[in-house]
Amino acid sequence: MSCMLKRSLQFRLSKVVVIGLIVLLGSTLNLYAADATAQVQLNVAKAGPRAVEDLTERGILRDYRFAWTSMAQALEFNTLDPLEGPFAGDAKKWLQETVSGQQRDGLSQRYLNQNHKLEAVFYAPEGDVMELHDTAEYQLQISDGGKLIHDEHVVMHYVVLMTPAADRWVVRQLQAVPQF
Amino acid sequence: MLRRRTYGAMTLAGAWMLAACFAVASFAQEIKVPALVTAGDESAISTTGSGTATFYLVGPGVSRKSEVSLGQEIPLRAQDLRNAGTYTAIVCSGTCQNAVFYVSAAKPASLAFLVHPSRVPVGQPDAVSGVAFPFDQFRNLVLRPQTIHFQLTAGNSALLSREVLSQDGVAWFRTTSGKSAGLLQVNAALESVTAKRAVQQVASDPCNLRITGQRTPEGIVVQTEPVHDCAGNPVPDGTIVTFTAAEANGKSTVDAPIKKGIARAQMAASGPVLVSAASGVVIGNELRIEAQR
Repeated sequence: MSCMLKRSLQFRLSKVVVIGLIVLLGSTLNLYAADATAQVQLNVAKAGPRAVEDLTERGILRDYRFAWTSMAQALEFNTLDPLEGPFAGDAKKWLQETVSGQQRDGLSQRYLNQNHKLEAVFYAPEGDVMELHDTAEYQLQISDGGKLIHDEHVVMHYVVLMTPAADRWVVRQLQAVPQF
Repeated sequence: MLRRRTYGAMTLAGAWMLAACFAVASFAQEIKVPALVTAGDESAISTTGSGTATFYLVGPGVSRKSEVSLGQEIPLRAQDLRNAGTYTAIVCSGTCQNAVFYVSAAKPASLAFLVHPSRVPVGQPDAVSGVAFPFDQFRNLVLRPQTIHFQLTAGNSALLSREVLSQDGVAWFRTTSGKSAGLLQVNAALESVTAKRAVQQVASDPCNLRITGQRTPEGIVVQTEPVHDCAGNPVPDGTIVTFTAAEANGKSTVDAPIKKGIARAQMAASGPVLVSAASGVVIGNELRIEAQR
């Protein structure tokens, strides 16, 4: 009888451990998914003088999301590789300088739970440049040698210039402003 | 009862002292950032308290860490404030305090000026467009409205002179191409800052295509009169003119490029021939020639 009870208890305990592990794994994956990607909503209704075609809209959405995911990786892991491709010109230059500065001083930044409300405000007549306004919300964490020194939920406004490259739209200007 | 009151008073005093300690600790790290800084200007952050602390400045293109003395101003170098955007200043001494400030673009120093197309037929509505973005000397987009003067000149005649107020850092125009072939100068000016581009205006489609011809021992030779567009500009060499010869026993077609303003073709034919010419959407006159049999 005692042996039966012991087995039942062991079974229950292992069941609890397995469920606990599943819950832990699930929440970790969920956390990673929430952290790793940028949510972007794009509104092209006010873009002009050229109308934004569906294919262009999808391209901007895809490439802007990729740019922010890449920027977050570059600033978190202090590596320049993710900046190759989604950024060009001045935006790429200052991001590279930021990464270099962080490498020198042992700092890093994390952009978590990004949510971007993107609005196209200007699309050139010949389709060679687009200006967008991004109201971005994210959790900004700054660490010094792994020690968290700043953790804040921020709402930022960015003026963005994107131009078409060979196979994608690239971010050329990413300038934060107090308001639009 | 008295003892209990004494304990109560002591507890209250302790709590006040603890609160005062916390107030001093947080006061010691109070920082005050500038309200707004112009890119490339020096600035400073004021701190209160005493002792040393670690100062961090994180912004576009900047990530700086240094030891500072509390109670003194922290100088911000001009080179650290070149890029417009948001900067986060953090001072850590035990706990960390932070403040955010903005750097705005300096005065315009250059214009990014995109003009399309590089080559345009004359008389085309809304065919020439230009977009100008004012930037400061540090390549920050100047978002304050600026009056940009667009001017288009062909030869000695002004085709367009328009002042446009930039909105969200961009000003643009679109206009009809000129009437005569040649170089079109497109200028954008913002105070002393100018940007110049050139567009080559070329003749439009041929107009009033007229042909002449004569018979030869092998057939016929047909040629156009000098080919012009409707505004009188000579159509560029290389433009194709298609000659079609209709005989009793069929049709033959020859494509001939314009050389020195004229297209010419030799065609094999016998007997009466009806020759016509076309270039683009323009059809010329018909010509009847009696070729050798």
